[in-house]
Amino acid sequence: MRFVTFCFRNLFRRKIRTTLCILGVALGTTFIVAVGAATMRYIAVIKEMSILFSGYVMVVSKDAIVIQAIPIGGGMLPQNHTEELIQNVTGVEKTIPILFITPIDIGGMLQPVPVNFSMGVPVDEWHSVLGPTPLRGGLGRFPANESCKEVVVGASLADQYYWTVGQDVMIGNHRLNITGVLDSKLALLSRCIIMPLKLAQEIYYSKSESVNIILAKPAQGYSQEELADSIENKVDYVKALTEDERNDIIRPILLQVETWNLGIQTIIFILSLILVMTVTIMSVSERRRDFATLDAIGAPLSYVFKVVLFETSLIGVFGGIIGIIFGSIGALLLAAVYTNIPITQFIPGIFEVVPPLYMLQIFVAEIAVCCLGGIIPAINATRIRVAEVLRAEY
Amino acid sequence: MKIKTVNLRKVFRVGPSEIVAINNVNLKINEAEFIAIVGPSGSGKTTLLNLIGLNDYPTSGKIFIDKIDTSLLSGRERRKIRLFHMGFVFQTFNLLPTLNALENVELPMALAGKPPEKQREKAVRLLEKVGLKHRLYHRPKELSTGEMQRVAIARALANDPEVIIADEPTGELDSKTAKEIINLLSDINKEHKTTVIIATHNEKIVKVADITYTIRDGKIEITS
Repeated sequence: MRFVTFCFRNLFRRKIRTTLCILGVALGTTFIVAVGAATMRYIAVIKEMSILFSGYVMVVSKDAIVIQAIPIGGGMLPQNHTEELIQNVTGVEKTIPILFITPIDIGGMLQPVPVNFSMGVPVDEWHSVLGPTPLRGGLGRFPANESCKEVVVGASLADQYYWTVGQDVMIGNHRLNITGVLDSKLALLSRCIIMPLKLAQEIYYSKSESVNIILAKPAQGYSQEELADSIENKVDYVKALTEDERNDIIRPILLQVETWNLGIQTIIFILSLILVMTVTIMSVSERRRDFATLDAIGAPLSYVFKVVLFETSLIGVFGGIIGIIFGSIGALLLAAVYTNIPITQFIPGIFEVVPPLYMLQIFVAEIAVCCLGGIIPAINATRIRVAEVLRAEY
Repeated sequence: MKIKTVNLRKVFRVGPSEIVAINNVNLKINEAEFIAIVGPSGSGKTTLLNLIGLNDYPTSGKIFIDKIDTSLLSGRERRKIRLFHMGFVFQTFNLLPTLNALENVELPMALAGKPPEKQREKAVRLLEKVGLKHRLYHRPKELSTGEMQRVAIARALANDPEVIIADEPTGELDSKTAKEIINLLSDINKEHKTTVIIATHNEKIVKVADITYTIRDGKIEITS
C-alpha cells in the first residue's frame, strides 16, 4: 500500500470540501501570480528604461516629472535657445534635442498606463540615442533626412497593427512611410514610433522648434553630477538629471510598489494558511477513529504527522498548479487590459510576463504555506489515543 | 509473550470526582493462553485491555511484558511492541475506510517496513485464511459486519503477533457470524500458539477460553 495513494484517498474522502479548499488556495495563488507578475513586469519595464540615454545628463523643463526616460508634464523647452545655453556650459561635449510624446492615442481608447510613444530624434543622432538597436530581419533603414516623412516603428506596435516596411501609416493628418521595424527587447522602444525631430515637431507642435528633452554629454574629465549642477546654475528654467538622479526618483516608487505587492502576497498566503488549517483541523477531528487505529496498531508518530502534512501539501500542489495556470492567464489579461495590446500578442511571450522562476517560487511557497497550515492539525492527530477515542464512543 | 500486572490501578478524573476503573488488578497471562474477560458494561474491561495493550497508562501499578517493566518504556518503544508483538481487534472493527481489505491488512506490515511484495503476498494469504479471498479489493463500506471483523482479524495477524487483544469482537455481529469469529480466533490460538485476550459478553467465547476472568467494579477474579 503506497503512502501517496493513502494520503490522496484520505484527502478526497470529503470531495466537495477538499475541492473547495483547493479552489480557495488556487484563487489566492491566481491573485498572487496575476498581480505579482503584472507588478513585476511593470517594474522591469521601468527599470530597463534606464538603459536609454545612458551616459547623458537629461535636461528637462523645471516642472517636469521624470520617470526614467519619460518626461511627464512640464513645459516645453525652446530648442535652439536652450541648446545654445547648455553648449556654453563648461564640460558639455555635445547636446541632442529630443521630442518625446506620450501617449499616442491609437484607436481613441483610454490607456491607464502609457504604452505608445513617439520620439523625434535628429537623424544624425539615431545611434547615440537608441544605441545598437538593429532593424528586424535586417530589413529597411532609418529615416534618411530631417525633412523626409519616414519613421521606424517598434516591433510590438508593428505586430499589433500589422505594419510592415514600406507601408504608409496615418498619424494625425500626416501620411508617414515605415522604413524599418526596431528589433529591441526594450518595452519602451517596442512601443515607440521614432521619426526625425523636425517631422515630430511638425506633427505635434506645428513646426514650433520645441523639445522636451535635451541630452547633454559630459566632455572627458567631467562627471555627470558636475555637468548637471553647472547646467542648472546657468539655465534657470531647466533641471538637469544625471543617471543616478533619474534612478533615485523612481527607486522609492518602485520600492513602494514592491512592498505593496509583497504585503498583498503575504496576506493571501496567510489566508491560504488559515483556510488549509481550518479544513485540516476539521478533517483530523472527523478522522479521530482512523488516527486512533493507527496509534493502536503501533504507527510511529512521525508516520501520522507525515500523513497529515502530505495531505495538506497535496492541497498546495493542486491549488498551486491550478492557481499558476489561472494566474498566468490573469497576468496576460491584466497586461492586455492595461496596455490595450491584444492578449494574443502576449501569449508567445508568456514566460516574459510570468517568468518560470516566479511560477516556481509561488508554487514552492504555496506548498510550504499549506504544509505550515498542516502542522497544528498534524500535532493534533499525533495526540489522538485509541483509549480516549474508545472511551468517548462507549 | 508473558504478561503480568501488579496492583494495576486506573483512575479517571471527571471534574471533581474520581472514577476507579481498575482497582488493584493482578493478572498473569502465559504464552498461548486463550483468556476471556467478562463483566458488565462499564466494569473496566476495555480499560484493562487498553492497559495490557499498552494503549493507556495506569494510574499506579505495573505491567510486565516478558519481565520488562513497561512503565520504563518510552512511547516509541511501546509503539514498537504494539506494532511487532501485538494485534488488536475492536468491537467496531476500526478499519481505515479509504483502504480496501487488502490494504488494511498490509498497513501494519508497511509500518513495520516489510517489502511491498511480501506485504501483498502475506495479506492475500491472511485474507484467504479468514475466508475473504473474494473480497480483497472491497472497501469496508462494501463489506458486511462479519467480513469487516474478519479483515480486522487478518490485520491483527499481519505482523505475526504473540498476543491478540480483542475488545468485544462479536459485539456487533449476529450469532452465526459471531460463532465463526470465535472459531477463527480459537483456531489462531491453537495453530499459531498466539495468546488471545478477549473482553466479551459472549458465553460461547467463555466456553472456548482457557481461563475466564470476571471484572466487576474494577476488581478482577478468576471464574473458570
